[in-house]
Amino acid sequence: MYDHDVLIVGAGLAGMRAALAATDLGVDVAVVSKVHPVRSHSNAAQGGINAALTDRGDDWRDHAYDTIKGSDFLGDQDAIELMCREAGEEVISMEHMGAIFNRDEEGKLGTRSFGGQRQARTFFVADFTGQALLHVLYEQIIKSGVRVYEEWFVLSLIIDEGRCGGAILMEIRTGKIEVVRAKAVILAAGGLGRVFEPSTNALICTGDGMGLAYRAGAPLMDMEMVQYHPTTLKGSGVLISEGARGEGAYLLNSEGDRFMLKYAPEFKELASRDVVSRCEQTEINEGRGIDGCVLLDLRHLGEQVINERLSQIRELAMDFANVDMAKEPVPVQPGMHYQMGGVKADVDGLTNLPGLYAAGEVACVSVHGGNRLGANSLLDTLVFGRRSGLHAAESVRSIKHVNVNDSASDSDRKIIQDLLENTPGESFGQLRSDLGSSMNQHLAVYRNEEGMQQALKNITDVKERFNDVYVADKTKTFNTNLMFTLEMGFMIECAESIALSAIERTESRGAHTREDMPERDDENWLKHILVTKKDEGHEISYKDVVITDWQPTVRQY
Amino acid sequence: MRYAFYPGCVSRGACPELYTATLEVCQILGIELDEESLKGASCTGAGVLQEKNERLGDTLNARTFAMAEKSGLPLMTICSTCQGVMAQANQRLLKNPDYLASINNDLREEGLEYKGTIDPKHLLWIIVEDLGLEFLESKIVRKLSGLKLAPFYGCYIVRPSEALGFSENPGRKQALEGVIEAVGAEVVDFPGKSLCCGFPILTINPENSIKMVGNHTIDAKERGADAMVTPCPLCHLNLDGYQPNAASVTKKEIDLPIIHLPQLVGLALGISPEKMRLNKHIVSTKKLLSELAVTP
Amino acid sequence: MEVKFNVRRYDPESTNTVSHFQEYQLEMDDASTVLDGLIRIREEIDGTLSLRCSCRSAICGSCAMRINGQAGLACNTKILDVIPENDSPITVEPLGNLPLIKDLIVDFQPFWSKVEAVEPWLQPEGEEPESEYIAPNEDMLHLAGVMACIMCGACVSDCTVLEVDDRFLGPAALAKAYRFVGDPRDDADDYRLGRLNEYGGVWDCTRCMQCVEVCPKGVAPMDRIMVLRDKAMEAGFTNTNGARHAKAFSDSVRHSGWLDELRLPIKSFGIFNLKAMIALIPTGIRAQMNGKRPPIFHKSIPGAENVRKIFDKVESKK
Repeated sequence: MYDHDVLIVGAGLAGMRAALAATDLGVDVAVVSKVHPVRSHSNAAQGGINAALTDRGDDWRDHAYDTIKGSDFLGDQDAIELMCREAGEEVISMEHMGAIFNRDEEGKLGTRSFGGQRQARTFFVADFTGQALLHVLYEQIIKSGVRVYEEWFVLSLIIDEGRCGGAILMEIRTGKIEVVRAKAVILAAGGLGRVFEPSTNALICTGDGMGLAYRAGAPLMDMEMVQYHPTTLKGSGVLISEGARGEGAYLLNSEGDRFMLKYAPEFKELASRDVVSRCEQTEINEGRGIDGCVLLDLRHLGEQVINERLSQIRELAMDFANVDMAKEPVPVQPGMHYQMGGVKADVDGLTNLPGLYAAGEVACVSVHGGNRLGANSLLDTLVFGRRSGLHAAESVRSIKHVNVNDSASDSDRKIIQDLLENTPGESFGQLRSDLGSSMNQHLAVYRNEEGMQQALKNITDVKERFNDVYVADKTKTFNTNLMFTLEMGFMIECAESIALSAIERTESRGAHTREDMPERDDENWLKHILVTKKDEGHEISYKDVVITDWQPTVRQY
Repeated sequence: MRYAFYPGCVSRGACPELYTATLEVCQILGIELDEESLKGASCTGAGVLQEKNERLGDTLNARTFAMAEKSGLPLMTICSTCQGVMAQANQRLLKNPDYLASINNDLREEGLEYKGTIDPKHLLWIIVEDLGLEFLESKIVRKLSGLKLAPFYGCYIVRPSEALGFSENPGRKQALEGVIEAVGAEVVDFPGKSLCCGFPILTINPENSIKMVGNHTIDAKERGADAMVTPCPLCHLNLDGYQPNAASVTKKEIDLPIIHLPQLVGLALGISPEKMRLNKHIVSTKKLLSELAVTP
Repeated sequence: MEVKFNVRRYDPESTNTVSHFQEYQLEMDDASTVLDGLIRIREEIDGTLSLRCSCRSAICGSCAMRINGQAGLACNTKILDVIPENDSPITVEPLGNLPLIKDLIVDFQPFWSKVEAVEPWLQPEGEEPESEYIAPNEDMLHLAGVMACIMCGACVSDCTVLEVDDRFLGPAALAKAYRFVGDPRDDADDYRLGRLNEYGGVWDCTRCMQCVEVCPKGVAPMDRIMVLRDKAMEAGFTNTNGARHAKAFSDSVRHSGWLDELRLPIKSFGIFNLKAMIALIPTGIRAQMNGKRPPIFHKSIPGAENVRKIFDKVESKK
């Protein structure tokens, strides 16, 4: 059994930022991650990070409004204001740590335009901003000497007398299971992309954090708000950054028209993501697509701009779509990308469960509401990662460890033993594929009651079949087969809460667009949907959206 | 076929056997060597000069190319390192016209200008591509059947593949094996054939350098090789010259003769081993030659 | 098309402690990658096959492995590019130069320790500015080339020096060190260069270009190591065999147009390095006896003064 003051689950941007903030306050911090920190999915973020720097004549209030409008007014305005106010400091902080941001002619930080924003305020490193920032944080983690449980899997959270007091961990390399007590646990385990097939997300994005919180009784909020990114490659689902459109790329239909001019006359290709995805899907559905895709045209940007600012996506398009974007347009389609919803948390990361925090994509504060603006996610992870780390570190001064011993791991040991002893039955690969394709069919850009109910049925079916899942690898050493099976368990919980919330919301807002209820209903639906696991089934509850200065209006781009 | 001959530094210094073997082989294969045009050409820099000043290396090589252009002949190398360094320099010069123009500025005083038309080629590639293996086979007087040979390329003639024209000439990847088979011998394949002989670190970290020699020669020997053949005299210097050191460090008897590419081809063309100085190696070739029933 | 994979398996818990190959066969479409194949193998054929993989788009660095003997990322290696002509299988093995844990999974701890050894964090001096450090965009663009490193380990796997000496810091760690030496905001250059000048540092690279060839992100670690050598020499760290060698080489070519091979090793080791001079004697004798001793009288090439002029011109530009 190990003891720490603060245990952070996940070593991506949010997790490592929290660790640095907490360790600065002198408490004993440990980070646990099922992959090495630099393998975290934060590295796949491409475009940039938003911040309103006042010395550029920008105003955080403008950034806040763009974000609020982008969220289709489901975002909590007090949280959004806070995030936008602290953005500038966070970006400068990263630069001081060594981030190699792009510069303007004066050597100051340079910006590019990004979706849904009236002013260019996205700071970037070519088109691999996420990777650049992740590596900088990792460098700082090495420097600070924070303990990292590298390649350890979190099986469950320790709940004792209504409080979260640590977690049960499994060392992937040896199969060893340990009880780790902590006075505060910060979930920073990222998103759940693999619940959908295809998705831009990495294979490790299986909703572990949301699943852990859900099972521990913490509510999940806004789960129906799943973002489909407008420019992903067909088949693989590989992401092509919004930065391409930020640099001026066009979206064309099969007739060669820039269809976004018609749907979003002001923002055009840089309207908010849900709007662009819907427009693309409409074009495709109405027969103006090419093989289920529209075209992203960068030819007019010229090779120099592409090589300097979009070199990674040029490689990706060549490797995964056999297209050189400097010479030909790239076929793209909407693809599942981000979960706006997550574990309900406040601006300091506190969830409804004492001792449990959440920050980053795993959390829902909510700063993204019904749709996230591009380049706000990197900001979200850093601002709330830092705040959770600080708050958790402060809180532990007055907390004692929970009174548990090694027996706390007994139930997880039994689960694993049972799984390993299962006889040949269902393959996790088949289950994952069935779940993913059903979600992508019924809970994608356009939804309807019948489809969503079907999705729920499919999920229940997968859940049943999961009882017979077979783990072929019986060894203790690096048993990836076992790990995927455990991840599948989390994925099913997440899928269920997505379907339940989607069915519950009887309007269209942000990423949740119902063909049978296409209008936004501010009178009844300016509230978040929460799903909480109960002993028998689940419970739905609501939380009103916090409105400060900006009343909801019609959302036009 | 006529070529502007670039012998490199080593074939005129520590590996004179390479020079003489080359001349003998080219005569029989009908390759005319113009030794005048590049008489005043400098060392390529061998990668060492480049690490101090890349532009200086590029200028010296551009100068050599300009001299070859003046002769109107294609340029031939006989050393993997010369070949690789020249190919990399050429790639940089041709990729950026502004860079080439500024380099030419520095050559102007001597009355030279590189116009970008040179494609340096190693004798190995000339044999395989310009002459063809069938032509080589037609000239063979003594088939080296029964001989088992391990190929050792030398880093600079296989990496980086982009600079060496591998995508346009995929045959280059297995060129040495092609020649070995064309002369009737059997190829002994081993993983180290395109790895490093250790020569560049010989004066910097001799222990590591000698370990590399030991690894590759012992591995080839254990797989049944009678000898190792290489198109690079620097590799030859290490694999041959330092083999006794490797043997004493590993406490193993290695005794694997290392022969230059032209010496191999020469043997098959009926040239006497003595003429090609095969009796002047550090690791004796006596046993190898006796197996071929050739008097050393 | 039908694709055969020959995958190296190793189960540390079995009684068979030697790794062995296992062949798998799949029907795959033309656009597939090696990773697509491996994932399908573990989902459809053999659930015990273990490997690391995550992003599938060449950014996380998890899936580095040796394919047909050469290190690379499985996720961006197209089947069509590696399928052998004669219908033989594609060989898939774990990375080299790192301890094997299981199947295609190696222990990365030695890799991370070396990265950590170069103190890979920005070390600016003085007070932090209110806002950002001012830095030219060219410098940031230049660093983006090195920062593109995803720490996948391909370069380390195929490094020929690491094969014989694991005290070498290796291409990834050295490239990472360059990222800081090349950063105008970092003020620890002399300190870093001094440490990189020690055993296992920049001078132990054998310039074999394996790391340049196998890097999936175009980082070209060897090129960075060469720049570090240059910077080390410029910063005054000239008391190494490597620095002496580079100087002697350069002097020789400048003076005569080509290499004085007789004097080069002597100058590299340093004539007062008795141990090294004595070690050279047997080599010298063997060379002498076989007519391989380079000429004592080193004659310049015709027109060597032209070479000298070029040296003067180009070196003054630097």
